[in-house]
Amino acid sequence: MIEIESYDFADDVDYAASQQQGSQSIMRSNSGKMKDPEGGEVVYVKDNVSIHPTQYMSERISGRLKLVKQDDSLFMMWIPYKGQNTNTRLSERDRNLYTIRPLPITDVRSIRRHTPPLGWQYLIVVLSSGLAFPPLYFYNGGVKEFLATIKQHVLLVRSADDANVFIVNDFQDPLQKTLSSLELLGVVPVVAPSSAAIAVSPTSESQEKMAECACDTNCGSEFIERPKYKVNDPARDFSIQLLEKFSLVTKFARETTSQLFRENSGENLFLSDGRKPNHIPALPAAPPKLPPNDVQKVSDEVHVPEDPLEFYKLALIWGNPRQPPLSQEEWGDFLDSEGRVVDSEALKKRVFYGGIAHELRKEVWPFLLGHYDFNSTYAEREYLRSARKEDYEIIKLQWQSISPQQAKRFTKFRERKGLIDKDVVRTDRSFSYYNGDDNPNINLLYDILLTYSFYNFDLGYCQGMNDYLSPLLFVMEDESEAFWCFAALMERVGPNFNRDQSGMQAQLFALSKYCLVHWQLVELSDSPLHDYFKQNDCLNYFFCFRWILMQFKRQCADIYFSSFAHHRELRYEETLLLWEVLWTHHLTEHLHLYVCVAILKKYRNKIMGDRMDFDTLLKFINELTGHIDIEPTLRDAEALCLCLGETGAACIPPGTPPSLPLKNALVSSQLEDEILGYTILRKVIADQIASAKEDDLVAFELVFRWEW
Amino acid sequence: MSYAYLFKYIIIGDTGVGKSCLLLQFTDKRFQPVHDLTIGVEFGARMITIDNKPIKLQIWDTAGQESFRSITRSYYRGAAGALLVYDITRRETFNHLASWLEDARQHANANMTIMLVGNKCDLAHRRAVSTEEGEQFAKEHGLLFMECSAKTAQNVEEAFIKTAATIYKKIQDGVFDVSNESFGIKVGYGGIQGNAAGVGTSTSQGGGCCG
Repeated sequence: MIEIESYDFADDVDYAASQQQGSQSIMRSNSGKMKDPEGGEVVYVKDNVSIHPTQYMSERISGRLKLVKQDDSLFMMWIPYKGQNTNTRLSERDRNLYTIRPLPITDVRSIRRHTPPLGWQYLIVVLSSGLAFPPLYFYNGGVKEFLATIKQHVLLVRSADDANVFIVNDFQDPLQKTLSSLELLGVVPVVAPSSAAIAVSPTSESQEKMAECACDTNCGSEFIERPKYKVNDPARDFSIQLLEKFSLVTKFARETTSQLFRENSGENLFLSDGRKPNHIPALPAAPPKLPPNDVQKVSDEVHVPEDPLEFYKLALIWGNPRQPPLSQEEWGDFLDSEGRVVDSEALKKRVFYGGIAHELRKEVWPFLLGHYDFNSTYAEREYLRSARKEDYEIIKLQWQSISPQQAKRFTKFRERKGLIDKDVVRTDRSFSYYNGDDNPNINLLYDILLTYSFYNFDLGYCQGMNDYLSPLLFVMEDESEAFWCFAALMERVGPNFNRDQSGMQAQLFALSKYCLVHWQLVELSDSPLHDYFKQNDCLNYFFCFRWILMQFKRQCADIYFSSFAHHRELRYEETLLLWEVLWTHHLTEHLHLYVCVAILKKYRNKIMGDRMDFDTLLKFINELTGHIDIEPTLRDAEALCLCLGETGAACIPPGTPPSLPLKNALVSSQLEDEILGYTILRKVIADQIASAKEDDLVAFELVFRWEW
Repeated sequence: MSYAYLFKYIIIGDTGVGKSCLLLQFTDKRFQPVHDLTIGVEFGARMITIDNKPIKLQIWDTAGQESFRSITRSYYRGAAGALLVYDITRRETFNHLASWLEDARQHANANMTIMLVGNKCDLAHRRAVSTEEGEQFAKEHGLLFMECSAKTAQNVEEAFIKTAATIYKKIQDGVFDVSNESFGIKVGYGGIQGNAAGVGTSTSQGGGCCG
């Protein structure tokens, strides 16, 4: 390993001052070895380090912070004092909850120092898992020594973006290694975000925003030409803020974990998978870790906190708890005496978190799809239904009246008819609603699809539309209503079926863009999965094609094995739930893309661990069919959505389906639509290229992958 | 299960010509008239034996509809063999062969072995494409040819195996660098190097293998 001359604390003004004043903290050199009762060597100890479990500064738990060296590893621990809580409301349980049991420093990602102009210094310790401990307030000083001691044992460097952030063991990037080894003492921060982090920043607009607040780092003290990056990269700041938000919610995480493990393991907190850490021989168990994948187990038990703000913070990590489906009674409450939906946003939100009881879908779906106006009354809807039924019959007559002689001279019609004819008998036939010979529902599928191909002749019919229609007909149980709901749905997902696949390409593109930003900002990593996809020619995200095309239909765990051996029965339960949640457009119009990311995240380690290439990955994704659990996936997707918020949303170019095309470019025919899609994509790609740095070929790769 | 080689196959052709049924007949030995249409791609696999060597066929069954062509093209890469299927009862599926072939030539490696399959030959009374026409097309374009029925299983086994035998012959003739996976061939541990658990421990006798 390269010897790295990193930040030297000797030139830190605060540090020097604290040294002069004679700090009360004890820094023990090797000569003054002190044994910790648990068997390690105590290299740092500080009293009166406290946390404030609530927003009130008066409520505080004080304790002793220690760094203990055992073998070659350094551990950090913080033990609250017994019976010294400043407030009686804080129980013994709280004490246990916050205790930091020996934690290997290697598990720490970063430490942020806060030096408020008034008040005490505090540190926030962020773990590599992304979770953070509550702020540790140093009432007796000692922050510098704490950092200096850590620095003696592990690599600790200042972040390039924020002089108060210290990154632990973060030297995977050879460039960073080189830079840091060339660094003058503490003059310039060393850890830079990778060039890729800047190459693909959210949008051109946010690029500009970034540029506005960016300061140039090209100061004279630098010896080598460094890639230009922005010291105050708001994206980077954002991620740090985000992690700090996480630190505020650790109380819930810890409470829950302790609840879960108290029964089994008494006082001891084990790793959340129940494993006892084996790398800390003589010391007690490590504090609970909550890696993202395991969070779900825990979160099922979480009670809804009363404080709405806390509730929101909690959602940042693992999404809000799912609710039971919207019931008949609740639905009634949403309507006024004449049948108007009084608060449509509240309704959408309710559906977003719980879905709809099956028997109500028929009533609520037309609103979600935009077939009914939320402001319409019972009477207006009744009228609309009959008027629309007549309209439907008229359109249907258009093709029904084509004589065989006329059809002979109408190739397009014959082709569509033939295709639909072949496809309706291959649509959800294992589902009882469509199985059996001469099933009349198959004929309804046929009539509706052919009628739609006349209603929207430009889009016509494409395989996959049948998959959207079959659940709609099953729910609506009425030909004309199913047709109009289908037509409304096609207003949204129709671009999935553009002949040139521009709608699909736009979504896959947005997905890849979002993923890159996500890995960098949220995972705080140099996006290993992205690099992995890049190396393995997977950056086109084609493996998500079917998910997006059919909005996860056939992917959800819809297939049940009945008691008869080998008899599979298809139900739609999961698909219907997912669809109605997506259709609410609550939080985002593109929740389906977040769902993709949630699933990829879940299997990321598997994908990379098994070194899947494009073919293997495609096969793996295919084999997930029927294994995607919707409720937890939705929570993950929601968390993703909340997590990156605007920054994430900005990765999705305007006009990406199911968003409507840009207003200033409304066009009528599909040909123009295609040109528009092409133009938008061209623009997006151009932006991407403009923001790309020399070694980042992502954008170029993407350009070459589109086959127009 | 160990294999000497793994061949990647791709099945292409118009929608509704019976691609998925051919695959199912080959892998499961059954005909299932009622099944969901293929979106994107589905996978199948089966072991066969050629020259006493266990060979695994990994088969990609693709969606036939025109709209999905751009995505289907990404599946060609690294395919060693292709079954190009048309329906002998529907003339248009035969007429479209040229465009499928063009896609294959453009997106697959030049040495991909292509078997032209005229499916549904059990429906002789509705035949719209003669056997001779199929043969002629194959000859003109350097393809293998066979008429099959996924329903009766006639020639299905043969179509897949004959393709594999041709690929195997190309390996023997040194056409491929089998260590380069872009040819759609993976060398397994069963029977060639004889260095792993499983079939045969002696090296192959045919000269010039193990390229």
